[in-house]
Amino acid sequence: MAENFEPRIVAFLCKWCSSAGSDLAGVSRMQYPPNVLPITVMCSGSVSPLYIFDAFNKGADGVLVSGCHPGDCHYIKGNYYARRRIALVKKLLDFVGLEPERFQMSWVSAAEGTKYTQIISDFVDVLKPLGPQNKLRRNL
Amino acid sequence: MVNVEDLRKEAKRILKEEKVKYVIGYERGQNGLMPKPAFIKDPDDVDRLIWDPTCIHNLAKFLVDEKKRKARDKKPDERPVGIVVKGCDSRAIVVLLQEKYIDREDVHIIGISCENNGVIDEKKVTKKLKGKRAESIELDEKGNFAITAQGETVKVPADELLADRCLECRANYPVIYDLLLGDKKKKNIDAPFKSLEKMESLSSKEKWAFWDEQLTKCIRCYACRSACPMCYCDECVVDTINFAVTADTTASEKAGKIKWVEKSPVPSENFVYHMVRAMHLAGRCIDCGECERVCPMNIPLRFLNKKLEKEAKELFGYDAGFDPDEPSLVSSFKDEDPEDFIR
Repeated sequence: MAENFEPRIVAFLCKWCSSAGSDLAGVSRMQYPPNVLPITVMCSGSVSPLYIFDAFNKGADGVLVSGCHPGDCHYIKGNYYARRRIALVKKLLDFVGLEPERFQMSWVSAAEGTKYTQIISDFVDVLKPLGPQNKLRRNL
Repeated sequence: MVNVEDLRKEAKRILKEEKVKYVIGYERGQNGLMPKPAFIKDPDDVDRLIWDPTCIHNLAKFLVDEKKRKARDKKPDERPVGIVVKGCDSRAIVVLLQEKYIDREDVHIIGISCENNGVIDEKKVTKKLKGKRAESIELDEKGNFAITAQGETVKVPADELLADRCLECRANYPVIYDLLLGDKKKKNIDAPFKSLEKMESLSSKEKWAFWDEQLTKCIRCYACRSACPMCYCDECVVDTINFAVTADTTASEKAGKIKWVEKSPVPSENFVYHMVRAMHLAGRCIDCGECERVCPMNIPLRFLNKKLEKEAKELFGYDAGFDPDEPSLVSSFKDEDPEDFIR
């Protein structure tokens, strides 16, 4: 089963950098796994912890939040707020027993298409042996 | 030692001088030992006020209610409210001030220092007495509790009966007050986050097994939310508004009424609810333990909040509820915040 398992990743990408970075990877015809569901947000700082819990709740196997490098935020400091908040979310998810590898954060600028493909393929490699995420998945 | 007469004298004074609308304090409940919140309006009623180690409630919640009541009133009484607070409760008031939910002028704070002790845990007392009903609990000079039950008095070391939060309390005296009763003595705590150590040493699988067992019990009565002085939002993200989707419903209407959490008390939804609550209390929770105390299913909710309190302290050097002028944890940042987890 583990070999056939294709993880689903929900990626919250900042419109000004990571989303453009993934676009660059696309237009440059770089190959990367198709497991990622990108959601463009206006800023990594606008990603509420609720979005992350909800993504897991709706069946994501992994969640990625990607924003601009420190100092590059379009809104001056949104990514600094994100960094603080996501550090706390990561600790909390770890504390309730979700595998910490399932939730990642990265800085990807608009020029880093290669870095983006690398992050996604590494993430898929990490998630494959973990299997499906059933802990937080909605089960009514 | 705190003399309860000093408390009554102060309450009487502010009520007589009509400085405050009313005083919120503790009075003896009708049902045995445990006290209940008292709202004293008449200066002659101040003798109802009590102070002893059974005064466990966090009365700061009533300031939130008062604010809401005042907002509804057409001709509100603008005088402040008098309130009796312990160390932890005073820090709740600091957080409310920090968030500009209430003004300093809205409240007249009578702070009481817990000195070297704290308040009892009702469950621990019941367990200790094996079902007998305690009639009184007093603290002696050596730091022991003297419990009287059915005519017998037993002496118990304080640590056996103190609430868990009091054993890990980092400020057992009020940090903000108009009048302080008792000494501002700091209790020495070797390990303020000791209760978390065992939990943190477990593997992901064991942690999950623990929380799955605990949160499966949750019946979603929202008692934790109701008792929490920090949960003051008028609209809560977990309350689903009844919303019928018809053929005429536009996409924007649907987008405005997202159902983040289902009402059903099933484990997956309970997890989202409790994690959202923990995140909303990050850097705000002052560890008054009310959520855990009121939980009818005995879920160790304090753990989740304590964990984030610990991370706030260790990662960002942030202590909730000490300085009303400090920006809050998630609305501030430092350049040197850790980012080793980010690629």
